[in-house]
Amino acid sequence: MAANQTVAKPSLKQIGLSEDTLWGLYYYLMKTRLLDERFRKMFRQGRYAGTYFSAVGQEACTVGAVYGLRDEDIIGPSHREIGAAVTKGIPIKEMVAQVFARSTSVDKGKTHPCHYGSRAKGVINPASTVAGQTVVATGCAMAFKIQKKDNIAVAFFGEGATARGGWHEALNYAGIHKLPILFVCQNNLWAESVPARLQGAIEKFSDRAKAYGFPGVTIDGNDVVEVHKTAQEAIKRARAGEGPTFIECMTYRWYGHSEIDPADYRSQEELDTWKKKDPIPRHEKLLTDLGILTPQKREALVEEIDQEIDEAVKFAEESKYAEPEEAYRDVYSENFPVRRDEY
Amino acid sequence: MKNTTYIEAITSALYEEMERDESVFMIGEDIGLYGGVFKATKGLQKRFGEERVIDSPISEAYIVGGCVGAAMVGMRPVPEIQFADFITPSMDQIIQQAAKIRYRSGGQWTCPMTVRVCCGGEVGGGLYHSQINEQWFFSQPGLIVVMPSTPYDAKGLLKSAIRGEDPVIYFEHKRLYRSVKEEIPEDDFTVPIGKAAIRREGKDITVVAYGLMCHKSMEAANILEKEGVTVELIDMRSLLPWDREMIFESVKKTSRAVLVQENTKTGGVMAEVSASITEEIFDYLDAPVTRVCGLDVPMLPFAPPLEHYFLPNAEKIVRAVRKVLEY
Ligand SMILES: Cc1ncc(C[n+]2csc(CCOP(=O)(O)OP(=O)(O)O)c2C)c(N)n1
Ligand SMILES: [Mg+2]
Repeated sequence: MAANQTVAKPSLKQIGLSEDTLWGLYYYLMKTRLLDERFRKMFRQGRYAGTYFSAVGQEACTVGAVYGLRDEDIIGPSHREIGAAVTKGIPIKEMVAQVFARSTSVDKGKTHPCHYGSRAKGVINPASTVAGQTVVATGCAMAFKIQKKDNIAVAFFGEGATARGGWHEALNYAGIHKLPILFVCQNNLWAESVPARLQGAIEKFSDRAKAYGFPGVTIDGNDVVEVHKTAQEAIKRARAGEGPTFIECMTYRWYGHSEIDPADYRSQEELDTWKKKDPIPRHEKLLTDLGILTPQKREALVEEIDQEIDEAVKFAEESKYAEPEEAYRDVYSENFPVRRDEY
Repeated sequence: MKNTTYIEAITSALYEEMERDESVFMIGEDIGLYGGVFKATKGLQKRFGEERVIDSPISEAYIVGGCVGAAMVGMRPVPEIQFADFITPSMDQIIQQAAKIRYRSGGQWTCPMTVRVCCGGEVGGGLYHSQINEQWFFSQPGLIVVMPSTPYDAKGLLKSAIRGEDPVIYFEHKRLYRSVKEEIPEDDFTVPIGKAAIRREGKDITVVAYGLMCHKSMEAANILEKEGVTVELIDMRSLLPWDREMIFESVKKTSRAVLVQENTKTGGVMAEVSASITEEIFDYLDAPVTRVCGLDVPMLPFAPPLEHYFLPNAEKIVRAVRKVLEY
């Protein structure tokens, strides 16, 4: 390219998304990132127990796929889907209360940090079992088909999860019955300390979709526009009864598997390369080029989100832990009271 | 009233519940076109269609896990596990999803699902077609576990399970499918979960059993009666939760208890019943609580003499009762 040639600015038309959507994606990327970094900071400050699973660096995969879903659509998340919870509309207050294990969390402090869920917002409160919610979300899609509803399900999992047996059974079934579901793999190259090459002898995990009889694509998971457009296409197919799609999003987690993992199994070089592909500045550049984003607007947005997070943290920290008696609740429906033992 | 076998009772409960509530559906191996390997679902696909009586691939994890998801969004699934032996691939979904979704979501999500599990020995099924494995589920709060021994209970408990709001593991004993028959009402009825039944009143000793072992215990009671011993026979029916009150009341009255369980002894349901009796009503006992169980070896070896040796039967129960009475 000649030095004096100017690069054509992108147009909304070329991108194929509205200004509202591009801004909406940005909003949730920022919200996810700022909340995630805040959680990390608060963990280091010892303000809550357990550990924390950061998804910093991976936000575009979840935000792009979830943005625009309806409340009745179901998300089957695992442990690294903060972006899905935020974008599906779970209030930040509820999410902080969950991490802080307080009585104001919907789970009343029964699961450990990052297990966000909400029936109202259609997010399955996850079990920690890797690939667990992939199976359950497929069952939601099976129900939608029987009920003749056009709701869909979106199952999220890491590349490590694709090695599990139940995961295979779910995708196999979804293919046979053309269920309305998206299988979104966040391939961040690592499953704790184990590299992706030790999870399967294939280059692209999306190739697995062939075996199940539905389309699979591998995309740049750090490009929120690409993720969103790919997901929208798949959602359209799913709602129209044309069956599942496997979307493998190539991405990278910046920090350890959880906050207690120094992640010294991977090279600095690898980390540096991926940090340069940060999904947020990339989307910001696009928005700036389109004239949608200015430094002032960015600042105002950060301030607005930070304030919401501050309030949520205050809410959570001022919330009490549940009374010990809470341990006995929600084991069964009210038909079966749990027997109490006194010691 | 209608003379009905245990398996007919199951089929008719399924039929009536599917007729009554369109959110009820079934999924399992060979249950559709074929009507199930034991024919428990015979005719159901023809009546209700392929979308509500689904022939699944051989995918136990999906059969159960998918039903958990379906139950969470408004369905009342009745998955079938063809043999209790092959429930292992679905353990993850039963224990981590079904049993805990209500708890881990603070009661937001629920799982009204009934897993039908075909189980049990004395059918020449050998090591991989005779298992029950009820003890694995018995120790999991969040699950309901039942095992009927009569056609009436088979129908009534299945209806209660399907209409309830909790995940139920419903064990149906294949030895009983066609070997027990009784008059049952043609009108709708249910059997409450969590309640045992006194099958025979007596004053000398309490025998507690469930499933096939109720019938073995009844045989034993008949033999003992001739010796002048009256047995109070309690059919647990529900294992989780189990009817502590009824069992304790009976043992308080008789002061002696023999507990009969088809499965291996160690870590079984009767270990808990025994421990609870000694823990809570020790003062009433005149003799050690005694168990008659399957052997502590893998359940169960195939060759007929080995199978026979493994399983509790009337003679073994009679011997145990005599010993407890002589104590
Ligand atoms: C069935 C199961 N095995 C092991 C674990 C422990 N564990 C939690 S996350 C994880 C790695 C998951 O890797 P991947 O699926 O790639 O997701 P990522 O953490 O990279 O987002 C492991 C081994 C678990 N939670 N569940
Ligand atoms: Mg990974």
